[in-house]
Amino acid sequence: MNQLAPAIIAALVISIMGGALSIFVVLKRLAFIGQGISHAAFGGVGIALILGVNGASTPGAIGQLSIVVAFSILAALWIAALSRSHKGRTDTAIGVVLSASMALGFVLFTIAESRHDHDDHGHAAHGHEDEHHIIEEILFGNILNTDWTKASIAIAVSIALLALTWLLRRKLIFWAFDEPVIDAYGHNSNRLTNIFLSTLAIAIVMSMQIAGVVLAAAMLVLPGAAALNITAKLKPAFISAILIATVGAALGMLIGFQADLPIGPAIVLTQSIMYLITLIIKTIAIRS
Amino acid sequence: MPPAEQPAVEIDHVSYTYPSAGIGTTANLAINDVHFSIPQHTKLGILGPNGGGKSTLIKLILGILKPTAGTIRVFGHTPAQARRKGLIGYLPQRIEADRDWPISVHQTIALIRSSRLKPWQKLSTEDHAAIDHAIKLVELTDLIDRPIGSLSGGQLQRVMIARAIAGNPKLLVLDEPTVGVDIAGQQRFGKLIDTLHKELDLTVVVVSHDMRAIAAVADRVACLSRTLHFHDTPEGLTPAVLAQVFAHDVAGVFGDIHIDAHLADDCDDPDHAHQHQHDCGCSSQSDQPNNSGGGA
Repeated sequence: MNQLAPAIIAALVISIMGGALSIFVVLKRLAFIGQGISHAAFGGVGIALILGVNGASTPGAIGQLSIVVAFSILAALWIAALSRSHKGRTDTAIGVVLSASMALGFVLFTIAESRHDHDDHGHAAHGHEDEHHIIEEILFGNILNTDWTKASIAIAVSIALLALTWLLRRKLIFWAFDEPVIDAYGHNSNRLTNIFLSTLAIAIVMSMQIAGVVLAAAMLVLPGAAALNITAKLKPAFISAILIATVGAALGMLIGFQADLPIGPAIVLTQSIMYLITLIIKTIAIRS
Repeated sequence: MPPAEQPAVEIDHVSYTYPSAGIGTTANLAINDVHFSIPQHTKLGILGPNGGGKSTLIKLILGILKPTAGTIRVFGHTPAQARRKGLIGYLPQRIEADRDWPISVHQTIALIRSSRLKPWQKLSTEDHAAIDHAIKLVELTDLIDRPIGSLSGGQLQRVMIARAIAGNPKLLVLDEPTVGVDIAGQQRFGKLIDTLHKELDLTVVVVSHDMRAIAAVADRVACLSRTLHFHDTPEGLTPAVLAQVFAHDVAGVFGDIHIDAHLADDCDDPDHAHQHQHDCGCSSQSDQPNNSGGGA
Protein backbone atom coordinates (compact mmCIF):
# COMPACT_ATOMS: atom_id res chain seq x y z
CA MET A 1 0.00 0.00 0.00
CA ASN A 2 2.95 2.30 0.71
CA GLN A 3 3.84 2.09 -2.95
CA LEU A 4 0.44 3.44 -3.85
CA ALA A 5 0.54 6.34 -1.38
CA PRO A 6 1.88 8.99 -3.81
CA ALA A 7 -0.67 7.97 -6.43
CA ILE A 8 -3.56 8.10 -3.98
CA ILE A 9 -2.61 11.44 -2.45
CA ALA A 10 -1.95 13.00 -5.86
CA ALA A 11 -5.29 11.74 -7.16
CA LEU A 12 -7.18 13.19 -4.19
CA VAL A 13 -5.52 16.62 -4.44
CA ILE A 14 -6.06 16.76 -8.22
CA SER A 15 -9.71 15.84 -7.59
CA ILE A 16 -10.21 18.68 -5.09
CA MET A 17 -8.80 21.11 -7.64
CA GLY A 18 -10.88 19.59 -10.45
CA GLY A 19 -14.02 19.77 -8.32
CA ALA A 20 -13.54 23.47 -7.61
CA LEU A 21 -12.89 24.34 -11.26
CA SER A 22 -15.71 22.13 -12.55
CA ILE A 23 -18.40 24.59 -11.40
CA PHE A 24 -16.93 27.21 -13.74
CA VAL A 25 -16.47 24.67 -16.54
CA VAL A 26 -20.10 23.55 -16.37
CA LEU A 27 -21.67 26.97 -15.96
CA LYS A 28 -19.43 28.63 -18.54
CA ARG A 29 -20.15 25.70 -20.90
CA LEU A 30 -16.50 24.84 -21.35
CA ALA A 31 -16.89 21.05 -21.25
CA PHE A 32 -15.98 20.70 -24.90
CA ILE A 33 -13.15 23.19 -24.65
CA GLY A 34 -11.82 20.84 -21.97
CA GLN A 35 -12.02 17.94 -24.43
CA GLY A 36 -10.25 20.07 -27.02
CA ILE A 37 -7.45 20.96 -24.62
CA SER A 38 -6.89 17.41 -23.40
CA HIS A 39 -6.64 16.07 -26.92
CA ALA A 40 -4.35 18.93 -27.83
CA ALA A 41 -2.08 17.85 -24.96
CA PHE A 42 -1.48 14.68 -26.96
CA GLY A 43 0.29 16.83 -29.54
CA GLY A 44 2.38 18.24 -26.69
CA VAL A 45 3.46 14.74 -25.64
CA GLY A 46 4.46 14.08 -29.24
CA ILE A 47 6.62 17.19 -29.24
CA ALA A 48 8.29 16.21 -25.95
CA LEU A 49 9.01 12.79 -27.43
CA ILE A 50 10.48 14.10 -30.68
CA LEU A 51 12.67 16.50 -28.68
CA GLY A 52 13.99 13.47 -26.84
CA VAL A 53 12.62 14.51 -23.46
CA ASN A 54 12.23 11.29 -21.54
CA GLY A 55 9.82 11.23 -18.62
CA ALA A 56 11.72 8.48 -16.78
CA SER A 57 14.11 10.73 -14.85
CA THR A 58 13.05 13.56 -12.54
CA PRO A 59 14.32 16.43 -14.74
CA GLY A 60 12.92 14.57 -17.73
CA ALA A 61 9.51 14.27 -16.08
CA ILE A 62 9.49 17.99 -15.29
CA GLY A 63 10.68 18.81 -18.80
CA GLN A 64 8.04 16.63 -20.41
CA LEU A 65 5.31 18.09 -18.21
CA SER A 66 6.44 21.65 -18.98
CA ILE A 67 6.30 21.02 -22.72
CA VAL A 68 2.85 19.41 -22.49
CA VAL A 69 1.54 22.20 -20.24
CA ALA A 70 2.94 24.89 -22.53
CA PHE A 71 1.44 23.24 -25.59
CA SER A 72 -1.95 22.81 -23.87
CA ILE A 73 -2.05 26.46 -22.80
CA LEU A 74 -1.21 27.51 -26.35
CA ALA A 75 -4.02 25.28 -27.63
CA ALA A 76 -6.44 26.76 -25.08
CA LEU A 77 -5.54 30.34 -26.02
CA TRP A 78 -5.74 29.43 -29.68
CA ILE A 79 -9.26 28.07 -29.11
CA ALA A 80 -10.17 31.31 -27.33
CA ALA A 81 -8.72 33.44 -30.14
CA LEU A 82 -10.41 31.35 -32.85
CA SER A 83 -13.75 31.57 -30.99
CA ARG A 84 -13.43 35.34 -30.87
CA SER A 85 -12.67 35.60 -34.58
CA HIS A 86 -15.50 33.17 -35.40
CA LYS A 87 -17.85 35.28 -33.31
CA GLY A 88 -18.13 32.78 -30.48
CA ARG A 89 -18.36 29.70 -32.65
CA THR A 90 -16.36 27.69 -30.18
CA ASP A 91 -17.25 24.32 -31.69
CA THR A 92 -15.42 25.20 -34.91
CA ALA A 93 -12.38 26.35 -32.94
CA ILE A 94 -12.33 23.14 -30.88
CA GLY A 95 -12.83 21.02 -33.99
CA VAL A 96 -9.79 22.62 -35.62
CA VAL A 97 -7.48 22.55 -32.59
CA LEU A 98 -8.45 19.06 -31.39
CA SER A 99 -7.93 17.31 -34.71
CA ALA A 100 -4.79 19.26 -35.66
CA SER A 101 -3.13 18.45 -32.33
CA MET A 102 -4.13 14.78 -32.36
CA ALA A 103 -2.80 14.45 -35.93
CA LEU A 104 0.42 16.20 -34.95
CA GLY A 105 0.80 13.92 -31.93
CA PHE A 106 0.41 10.71 -33.94
CA VAL A 107 2.76 11.91 -36.69
CA LEU A 108 5.43 12.82 -34.11
CA PHE A 109 4.98 9.51 -32.29
CA THR A 110 5.50 7.63 -35.54
CA ILE A 111 8.60 9.66 -36.41
CA ALA A 112 10.02 9.15 -32.92
CA GLU A 113 9.30 5.44 -33.18
CA SER A 114 11.02 4.99 -36.56
CA ARG A 115 13.99 7.03 -35.34
CA HIS A 116 14.15 4.74 -32.31
CA ASP A 117 14.19 1.69 -34.65
CA HIS A 118 17.07 3.15 -36.63
CA ASP A 119 19.08 4.08 -33.55
CA ASP A 120 19.22 0.64 -32.01
CA HIS A 121 18.00 -2.20 -34.26
CA GLY A 122 18.91 -4.73 -31.64
CA HIS A 123 16.28 -3.49 -29.23
CA ALA A 124 13.69 -2.59 -31.84
CA ALA A 125 11.05 -4.96 -30.58
CA HIS A 126 11.49 -3.71 -27.05
CA GLY A 127 11.24 -0.09 -28.30
CA HIS A 128 7.93 -0.75 -30.06
CA GLU A 129 6.43 -2.17 -26.93
CA ASP A 130 7.58 0.91 -25.03
CA GLU A 131 6.01 3.36 -27.47
CA HIS A 132 2.68 1.55 -27.52
CA HIS A 133 2.69 1.34 -23.77
CA ILE A 134 3.38 5.08 -23.56
CA ILE A 135 0.58 5.93 -26.01
CA GLU A 136 -1.90 3.82 -24.06
CA GLU A 137 -0.78 5.46 -20.84
CA ILE A 138 -1.20 8.90 -22.32
CA LEU A 139 -4.63 8.14 -23.74
CA PHE A 140 -6.11 6.41 -20.71
CA GLY A 141 -3.80 7.35 -17.85
CA ASN A 142 -1.71 5.23 -15.54
CA ILE A 143 -1.86 6.48 -12.02
CA LEU A 144 0.07 3.46 -10.72
CA ASN A 145 3.07 4.94 -12.46
CA THR A 146 3.05 7.87 -10.03
CA ASP A 147 6.14 8.10 -7.84
CA TRP A 148 6.77 10.74 -5.19
CA THR A 149 8.40 13.06 -7.72
CA LYS A 150 5.39 13.08 -10.03
CA ALA A 151 3.03 13.23 -7.08
CA SER A 152 4.82 16.23 -5.54
CA ILE A 153 4.66 18.14 -8.83
CA ALA A 154 0.97 17.32 -9.26
CA ILE A 155 0.16 18.33 -5.68
CA ALA A 156 2.13 21.60 -5.86
CA VAL A 157 0.61 22.55 -9.20
CA SER A 158 -2.93 21.68 -8.06
CA ILE A 159 -2.57 23.76 -4.91
CA ALA A 160 -1.20 26.66 -6.97
CA LEU A 161 -4.22 26.47 -9.31
CA LEU A 162 -6.61 26.33 -6.36
CA ALA A 163 -4.92 29.38 -4.84
CA LEU A 164 -5.12 31.31 -8.11
CA THR A 165 -8.82 30.45 -8.49
CA TRP A 166 -9.45 31.57 -4.92
CA LEU A 167 -7.62 34.84 -5.46
CA LEU A 168 -9.63 35.59 -8.59
CA ARG A 169 -12.87 34.00 -7.37
CA ARG A 170 -15.08 37.10 -7.42
CA LYS A 171 -13.85 38.31 -10.79
CA LEU A 172 -14.17 34.78 -12.21
CA ILE A 173 -17.71 34.42 -10.88
CA PHE A 174 -18.68 37.79 -12.35
CA TRP A 175 -17.01 36.83 -15.65
CA ALA A 176 -18.60 33.41 -15.85
CA PHE A 177 -21.99 34.73 -14.74
CA ASP A 178 -22.28 37.76 -17.01
CA GLU A 179 -19.33 38.12 -19.37
CA PRO A 180 -21.02 40.59 -21.78
CA VAL A 181 -21.16 43.38 -19.18
CA ILE A 182 -17.96 43.01 -17.19
CA ASP A 183 -15.91 45.19 -19.52
CA ALA A 184 -18.36 48.02 -18.91
CA TYR A 185 -17.58 47.65 -15.21
CA GLY A 186 -13.85 48.04 -15.62
CA HIS A 187 -12.85 44.38 -15.83
CA ASN A 188 -11.13 42.76 -18.78
CA SER A 189 -13.15 39.85 -20.11
CA ASN A 190 -10.54 38.72 -22.62
CA ARG A 191 -7.85 38.63 -19.96
CA LEU A 192 -10.08 36.66 -17.57
CA THR A 193 -10.97 34.24 -20.37
CA ASN A 194 -7.29 33.69 -21.12
CA ILE A 195 -6.43 33.22 -17.44
CA PHE A 196 -9.21 30.74 -16.84
CA LEU A 197 -8.54 28.75 -20.01
CA SER A 198 -4.83 28.54 -19.11
CA THR A 199 -5.77 27.37 -15.61
CA LEU A 200 -8.10 24.83 -17.17
CA ALA A 201 -5.35 23.64 -19.52
CA ILE A 202 -2.93 23.02 -16.64
CA ALA A 203 -5.69 21.34 -14.60
CA ILE A 204 -6.44 19.02 -17.50
CA VAL A 205 -2.80 18.04 -17.91
CA MET A 206 -2.74 17.20 -14.17
CA SER A 207 -5.92 15.14 -14.49
CA MET A 208 -4.44 13.36 -17.50
CA GLN A 209 -2.01 11.65 -15.15
CA ILE A 210 -5.00 9.95 -13.57
CA ALA A 211 -7.45 9.55 -16.41
CA GLY A 212 -5.48 10.15 -19.61
CA VAL A 213 -6.25 12.29 -22.65
CA VAL A 214 -9.63 10.71 -23.31
CA LEU A 215 -11.11 10.95 -19.81
CA ALA A 216 -9.28 13.87 -18.15
CA ALA A 217 -11.86 16.50 -19.08
CA ALA A 218 -14.60 14.39 -17.48
CA MET A 219 -13.02 14.99 -14.06
CA LEU A 220 -13.46 18.72 -14.67
CA VAL A 221 -17.12 18.37 -15.65
CA LEU A 222 -18.83 15.58 -13.70
CA PRO A 223 -18.42 16.94 -10.14
CA GLY A 224 -19.72 20.39 -11.07
CA ALA A 225 -22.61 18.99 -13.11
CA ALA A 226 -23.56 16.71 -10.19
CA ALA A 227 -23.28 19.49 -7.59
CA LEU A 228 -25.49 21.82 -9.61
CA ASN A 229 -28.18 19.13 -9.69
CA ILE A 230 -28.58 19.35 -5.95
CA THR A 231 -28.03 22.99 -5.01
CA ALA A 232 -28.83 26.49 -6.30
CA LYS A 233 -26.52 28.26 -3.87
CA LEU A 234 -23.02 29.43 -4.54
CA LYS A 235 -20.92 28.16 -1.65
CA PRO A 236 -22.78 24.83 -1.31
CA ALA A 237 -22.25 24.29 -5.05
CA PHE A 238 -18.47 24.62 -4.77
CA ILE A 239 -18.34 22.53 -1.59
CA SER A 240 -20.48 19.73 -3.03
CA ALA A 241 -18.49 19.68 -6.25
CA ILE A 242 -15.25 19.27 -4.30
CA LEU A 243 -16.82 16.56 -2.10
CA ILE A 244 -18.27 14.68 -5.06
CA ALA A 245 -14.92 14.85 -6.88
CA THR A 246 -12.93 13.60 -3.89
CA VAL A 247 -15.36 10.89 -2.78
CA GLY A 248 -15.67 9.77 -6.42
CA ALA A 249 -11.90 9.55 -6.75
CA ALA A 250 -11.50 7.67 -3.45
CA LEU A 251 -14.29 5.20 -4.22
CA GLY A 252 -13.05 4.78 -7.79
CA MET A 253 -9.54 3.98 -6.61
CA LEU A 254 -10.84 1.55 -3.99
CA ILE A 255 -12.96 -0.30 -6.54
CA GLY A 256 -10.14 -0.19 -9.09
CA PHE A 257 -7.54 -1.62 -6.71
CA GLN A 258 -9.91 -4.28 -5.35
CA ALA A 259 -11.23 -5.44 -8.70
CA ASP A 260 -7.94 -4.91 -10.53
CA LEU A 261 -9.48 -2.42 -12.96
CA PRO A 262 -7.77 0.53 -14.66
CA ILE A 263 -7.90 3.33 -12.07
CA GLY A 264 -8.65 6.33 -14.30
CA PRO A 265 -11.74 4.82 -15.93
CA ALA A 266 -12.86 3.45 -12.52
CA ILE A 267 -12.77 6.99 -11.05
CA VAL A 268 -14.57 8.56 -14.00
CA LEU A 269 -17.19 5.80 -13.92
CA THR A 270 -17.76 6.32 -10.19
CA GLN A 271 -18.14 10.07 -10.67
CA SER A 272 -20.57 9.37 -13.53
CA ILE A 273 -22.67 7.19 -11.25
CA MET A 274 -22.64 9.93 -8.62
CA TYR A 275 -23.85 12.34 -11.30
CA LEU A 276 -26.70 9.96 -12.15
CA ILE A 277 -27.67 9.72 -8.48
CA THR A 278 -27.83 13.53 -8.16
CA LEU A 279 -29.90 13.65 -11.34
CA ILE A 280 -32.38 11.21 -9.78
CA ILE A 281 -32.45 13.28 -6.56
CA LYS A 282 -33.12 16.41 -8.61
CA THR A 283 -35.94 14.75 -10.57
CA ILE A 284 -37.59 13.50 -7.40
CA ALA A 285 -37.21 16.91 -5.73
CA ILE A 286 -38.84 18.67 -8.68
CA ARG A 287 -41.79 16.24 -8.74
CA SER A 288 -42.52 16.34 -5.04
CA MET B 1 -26.66 74.32 -12.92
CA PRO B 2 -23.49 76.41 -12.63
CA PRO B 3 -22.16 77.13 -16.14
CA ALA B 4 -18.64 76.04 -15.22
CA GLU B 5 -19.73 72.51 -14.36
CA GLN B 6 -17.96 69.87 -16.37
CA PRO B 7 -20.23 67.94 -18.75
CA ALA B 8 -20.89 64.31 -17.85
CA VAL B 9 -19.96 63.20 -21.36
CA GLU B 10 -18.15 65.15 -24.05
CA ILE B 11 -18.23 63.66 -27.51
CA ASP B 12 -15.85 65.60 -29.71
CA HIS B 13 -16.23 65.00 -33.46
CA VAL B 14 -16.32 61.25 -33.03
CA SER B 15 -16.50 58.78 -35.90
CA TYR B 16 -16.36 55.04 -35.77
CA THR B 17 -15.85 52.64 -38.63
CA TYR B 18 -16.19 48.90 -38.09
CA PRO B 19 -13.35 47.13 -39.87
CA SER B 20 -14.18 44.70 -42.62
CA ALA B 21 -15.32 41.44 -41.01
CA GLY B 22 -13.69 39.24 -43.63
CA ILE B 23 -13.75 38.35 -47.30
CA GLY B 24 -16.78 39.78 -49.06
CA THR B 25 -17.57 42.44 -46.47
CA THR B 26 -16.57 46.07 -46.42
CA ALA B 27 -15.73 48.45 -43.61
CA ASN B 28 -18.85 49.99 -42.14
CA LEU B 29 -19.07 53.60 -41.03
CA ALA B 30 -21.39 53.36 -38.04
CA ILE B 31 -21.01 56.85 -36.61
CA ASN B 32 -19.97 59.93 -38.53
CA ASP B 33 -18.61 63.08 -36.90
CA VAL B 34 -20.88 63.10 -33.88
CA HIS B 35 -20.32 66.14 -31.71
CA PHE B 36 -22.25 66.96 -28.56
CA SER B 37 -22.00 66.95 -24.83
CA ILE B 38 -24.27 65.68 -22.11
CA PRO B 39 -24.60 68.03 -19.14
CA GLN B 40 -24.55 66.51 -15.67
CA HIS B 41 -27.81 65.61 -13.96
CA THR B 42 -29.76 65.38 -17.23
CA LYS B 43 -31.73 62.42 -18.50
CA LEU B 44 -30.84 62.28 -22.17
CA GLY B 45 -32.66 60.02 -24.59
CA ILE B 46 -30.80 59.10 -27.76
CA LEU B 47 -33.36 58.17 -30.36
CA GLY B 48 -32.55 56.55 -33.65
CA PRO B 49 -33.48 53.79 -36.06
CA ASN B 50 -32.06 50.30 -35.75
CA GLY B 51 -28.61 50.27 -37.29
CA GLY B 52 -28.32 54.01 -36.68
CA GLY B 53 -25.23 53.61 -34.50
CA LYS B 54 -26.83 53.79 -31.05
CA SER B 55 -25.16 50.66 -29.69
CA THR B 56 -21.86 51.77 -31.21
CA LEU B 57 -22.17 55.12 -29.45
CA ILE B 58 -22.83 53.33 -26.14
CA LYS B 59 -19.80 51.11 -26.63
CA LEU B 60 -17.73 54.21 -27.34
CA ILE B 61 -18.98 55.96 -24.19
CA LEU B 62 -18.24 52.81 -22.19
CA GLY B 63 -14.80 52.62 -23.77
CA ILE B 64 -15.36 49.13 -25.16
CA LEU B 65 -14.72 50.58 -28.63
CA LYS B 66 -12.18 53.31 -29.38
CA PRO B 67 -13.20 56.08 -31.79
CA THR B 68 -11.55 55.92 -35.21
CA ALA B 69 -11.62 59.73 -35.09
CA GLY B 70 -12.33 62.25 -32.34
CA THR B 71 -12.27 61.92 -28.58
CA ILE B 72 -14.68 61.09 -25.79
CA ARG B 73 -14.43 62.26 -22.18
CA VAL B 74 -16.54 60.98 -19.34
CA PHE B 75 -16.39 63.37 -16.37
CA GLY B 76 -13.08 64.54 -17.79
CA HIS B 77 -11.59 61.04 -17.95
CA THR B 78 -11.09 58.69 -20.84
CA PRO B 79 -13.95 56.17 -20.92
CA ALA B 80 -11.56 53.39 -19.85
CA GLN B 81 -10.45 55.39 -16.79
CA ALA B 82 -14.05 56.31 -16.02
CA ARG B 83 -15.21 52.73 -15.90
CA ARG B 84 -12.23 51.65 -13.86
CA LYS B 85 -13.17 54.37 -11.38
CA GLY B 86 -16.71 52.95 -11.30
CA LEU B 87 -18.22 56.16 -12.68
CA ILE B 88 -20.42 54.31 -15.18
CA GLY B 89 -23.38 52.03 -14.51
CA TYR B 90 -24.63 50.04 -17.46
CA LEU B 91 -27.81 48.12 -18.24
CA PRO B 92 -27.35 46.04 -21.39
CA GLN B 93 -30.03 45.67 -24.03
CA ARG B 94 -30.37 41.95 -23.52
CA ILE B 95 -29.65 40.51 -20.12
CA GLU B 96 -27.34 37.68 -20.99
CA ALA B 97 -26.44 36.79 -17.43
CA ASP B 98 -26.56 33.05 -16.98
CA ARG B 99 -29.69 32.24 -15.01
CA ASP B 100 -28.39 28.75 -14.25
CA TRP B 101 -25.85 30.27 -11.88
CA PRO B 102 -26.43 29.24 -8.26
CA ILE B 103 -26.34 32.85 -7.13
CA SER B 104 -28.79 34.92 -5.10
CA VAL B 105 -30.21 38.36 -5.85
CA HIS B 106 -28.04 39.86 -3.11
CA GLN B 107 -24.88 38.11 -4.34
CA THR B 108 -25.52 39.29 -7.90
CA ILE B 109 -25.86 42.91 -6.82
CA ALA B 110 -22.91 42.65 -4.42
CA LEU B 111 -20.64 41.38 -7.24
CA ILE B 112 -20.29 44.90 -8.58
CA ARG B 113 -18.47 45.86 -5.39
CA SER B 114 -16.96 42.56 -4.30
CA SER B 115 -15.29 42.02 -7.71
CA ARG B 116 -13.32 45.22 -7.13
CA LEU B 117 -12.00 44.13 -3.72
CA LYS B 118 -8.65 42.55 -3.04
CA PRO B 119 -9.10 38.79 -2.65
CA TRP B 120 -8.67 38.86 1.13
CA GLN B 121 -10.91 41.89 1.72
CA LYS B 122 -14.52 41.66 2.77
CA LEU B 123 -17.34 44.04 1.87
CA SER B 124 -17.10 47.14 4.07
CA THR B 125 -19.97 48.80 5.93
CA GLU B 126 -20.01 51.37 3.16
CA ASP B 127 -20.27 48.61 0.54
CA HIS B 128 -23.15 47.01 2.40
CA ALA B 129 -24.91 50.35 2.77
CA ALA B 130 -24.65 51.06 -0.98
CA ILE B 131 -25.88 47.56 -1.84
CA ASP B 132 -28.81 47.76 0.59
CA HIS B 133 -29.74 51.22 -0.65
CA ALA B 134 -29.76 50.00 -4.27
CA ILE B 135 -31.92 47.03 -3.30
CA LYS B 136 -34.36 49.32 -1.52
CA LEU B 137 -34.57 51.75 -4.41
CA VAL B 138 -35.51 49.08 -6.92
CA GLU B 139 -37.85 47.46 -4.37
CA LEU B 140 -36.23 44.05 -4.25
CA THR B 141 -35.95 43.81 -0.47
CA ASP B 142 -38.28 40.80 -0.30
CA LEU B 143 -36.35 38.86 -2.91
CA ILE B 144 -32.72 39.25 -1.81
CA ASP B 145 -32.20 35.58 -0.95
CA ARG B 146 -33.97 34.19 -4.00
CA PRO B 147 -31.82 32.38 -6.58
CA ILE B 148 -31.52 34.42 -9.76
CA GLY B 149 -33.02 31.62 -11.84
CA SER B 150 -36.37 31.91 -10.05
CA LEU B 151 -37.04 35.54 -11.02
CA SER B 152 -39.30 36.92 -13.73
CA GLY B 153 -37.83 38.98 -16.56
CA GLY B 154 -38.94 42.24 -14.97
CA GLN B 155 -37.51 41.28 -11.58
CA LEU B 156 -34.23 40.29 -13.20
CA GLN B 157 -34.05 43.68 -14.92
CA ARG B 158 -34.49 45.38 -11.56
CA VAL B 159 -31.66 43.24 -10.17
CA MET B 160 -29.45 44.41 -13.00
CA ILE B 161 -30.42 48.04 -12.39
CA ALA B 162 -29.63 47.60 -8.70
CA ARG B 163 -26.28 46.07 -9.68
CA ALA B 164 -25.58 49.07 -11.92
CA ILE B 165 -26.32 51.63 -9.21
CA ALA B 166 -24.79 49.72 -6.30
CA GLY B 167 -21.37 50.76 -7.59
CA ASN B 168 -22.31 54.43 -6.98
CA PRO B 169 -21.91 55.49 -10.61
CA LYS B 170 -22.39 59.09 -11.72
CA LEU B 171 -23.55 58.09 -15.18
CA LEU B 172 -26.19 55.43 -15.85
CA VAL B 173 -26.33 54.07 -19.41
CA LEU B 174 -29.47 52.20 -20.45
CA ASP B 175 -29.44 50.36 -23.78
CA GLU B 176 -32.97 49.75 -25.15
CA PRO B 177 -34.26 49.14 -21.62
CA THR B 178 -37.91 48.53 -22.41
CA VAL B 179 -37.94 46.43 -25.58
CA GLY B 180 -41.13 44.40 -25.69
CA VAL B 181 -42.57 46.13 -22.63
CA ASP B 182 -46.11 47.57 -22.73
CA ILE B 183 -46.79 51.27 -22.18
CA ALA B 184 -47.69 50.84 -18.53
CA GLY B 185 -44.45 48.93 -18.00
CA GLN B 186 -42.46 51.62 -19.78
CA GLN B 187 -43.99 54.27 -17.55
CA ARG B 188 -43.24 52.27 -14.41
CA PHE B 189 -39.68 51.94 -15.68
CA GLY B 190 -39.54 55.69 -16.31
CA LYS B 191 -40.71 56.38 -12.76
CA LEU B 192 -38.07 54.04 -11.34
CA ILE B 193 -35.31 55.76 -13.32
CA ASP B 194 -36.69 59.13 -12.23
CA THR B 195 -36.47 58.06 -8.58
CA LEU B 196 -32.89 56.86 -9.05
CA HIS B 197 -32.00 60.05 -10.89
CA LYS B 198 -33.21 62.17 -8.00
CA GLU B 199 -31.99 59.98 -5.14
CA LEU B 200 -28.53 59.33 -6.52
CA ASP B 201 -27.97 62.53 -8.50
CA LEU B 202 -27.29 60.56 -11.65
CA THR B 203 -26.80 61.57 -15.23
CA VAL B 204 -28.89 59.15 -17.29
CA VAL B 205 -28.40 58.23 -20.94
CA VAL B 206 -31.07 56.04 -22.49
CA VAL B 207 -30.81 54.74 -26.01
CA SER B 208 -33.73 53.38 -27.99
CA HIS B 209 -35.40 53.15 -31.37
CA ASP B 210 -38.73 53.43 -29.59
CA MET B 211 -39.93 56.93 -28.95
CA ARG B 212 -42.22 55.90 -26.14
CA ALA B 213 -39.34 54.26 -24.32
CA ILE B 214 -37.38 57.51 -24.63
CA ALA B 215 -40.35 59.64 -23.63
CA ALA B 216 -40.91 57.53 -20.52
CA VAL B 217 -37.38 58.08 -19.27
CA ALA B 218 -35.72 61.16 -20.76
CA ASP B 219 -36.18 64.87 -20.30
CA ARG B 220 -33.95 65.72 -23.26
CA VAL B 221 -33.49 64.10 -26.62
CA ALA B 222 -30.87 63.64 -29.27
CA CYS B 223 -31.59 61.97 -32.60
CA LEU B 224 -28.88 59.69 -33.94
CA SER B 225 -28.85 58.16 -37.37
CA ARG B 226 -25.19 57.64 -38.13
CA THR B 227 -24.74 61.31 -37.46
CA LEU B 228 -26.41 63.45 -34.85
CA HIS B 229 -29.57 65.01 -36.26
CA PHE B 230 -30.63 66.89 -33.21
CA HIS B 231 -29.45 67.67 -29.76
CA ASP B 232 -31.64 69.38 -27.28
CA THR B 233 -31.88 73.12 -26.88
CA PRO B 234 -34.00 74.49 -24.07
CA GLU B 235 -36.80 75.28 -26.49
CA GLY B 236 -36.02 72.12 -28.42
CA LEU B 237 -37.81 68.94 -29.08
CA THR B 238 -39.34 67.49 -25.97
CA PRO B 239 -40.01 63.79 -25.64
CA ALA B 240 -43.65 64.55 -25.03
CA VAL B 241 -43.90 66.25 -28.41
CA LEU B 242 -42.19 63.40 -30.16
CA ALA B 243 -44.50 60.92 -28.51
CA GLN B 244 -47.37 62.98 -29.78
CA VAL B 245 -45.96 63.27 -33.27
CA PHE B 246 -45.22 59.59 -33.59
CA ALA B 247 -48.12 58.27 -31.61
CA HIS B 248 -48.67 55.49 -34.14
CA ASP B 249 -46.25 52.67 -34.87
CA VAL B 250 -43.03 54.21 -33.75
CA ALA B 251 -40.59 51.48 -34.61
CA GLY B 252 -42.02 51.14 -38.12
CA VAL B 253 -41.87 54.76 -39.19
CA PHE B 254 -38.79 55.96 -37.45
CA GLY B 255 -36.30 55.25 -40.19
CA ASP B 256 -33.75 57.38 -41.98
CA ILE B 257 -36.14 58.38 -44.72
CA HIS B 258 -38.77 59.55 -42.35
CA ILE B 259 -36.42 61.77 -40.38
CA ASP B 260 -34.87 63.16 -43.52
CA ALA B 261 -38.30 64.01 -44.89
CA HIS B 262 -38.98 66.03 -41.78
CA LEU B 263 -35.61 67.69 -42.05
CA ALA B 264 -36.25 68.67 -45.63
CA ASP B 265 -39.67 70.11 -44.83
CA ASP B 266 -38.50 72.08 -41.89
CA CYS B 267 -35.37 73.41 -43.47
CA ASP B 268 -37.39 74.88 -46.32
CA ASP B 269 -38.96 77.07 -43.71
CA PRO B 270 -37.17 80.45 -43.95
CA ASP B 271 -37.70 81.04 -40.22
CA HIS B 272 -35.21 78.31 -39.57
CA ALA B 273 -32.70 79.15 -42.21
CA HIS B 274 -30.25 80.47 -39.67
CA GLN B 275 -30.15 77.19 -37.82
CA HIS B 276 -27.87 74.32 -38.48
CA GLN B 277 -29.58 71.99 -40.83
CA HIS B 278 -29.73 69.03 -38.49
CA ASP B 279 -30.96 71.05 -35.57
CA CYS B 280 -33.51 72.67 -37.76
CA GLY B 281 -35.37 69.44 -38.45
CA CYS B 282 -36.09 68.53 -34.91
CA SER B 283 -36.42 72.01 -33.45
CA SER B 284 -39.06 73.17 -35.81
CA GLN B 285 -41.16 70.17 -34.97
CA SER B 286 -41.17 71.29 -31.42
CA ASP B 287 -41.65 74.92 -32.28
CA GLN B 288 -44.80 74.04 -34.07
CA PRO B 289 -45.92 70.79 -32.61
CA ASN B 290 -49.45 71.23 -33.82
CA ASN B 291 -48.42 71.93 -37.39
CA SER B 292 -46.01 69.09 -37.91
CA GLY B 293 -47.68 66.47 -35.82
CA GLY B 294 -51.11 67.79 -35.16
CA GLY B 295 -52.58 66.04 -38.16
CA ALA B 296 -52.52 62.76 -36.30
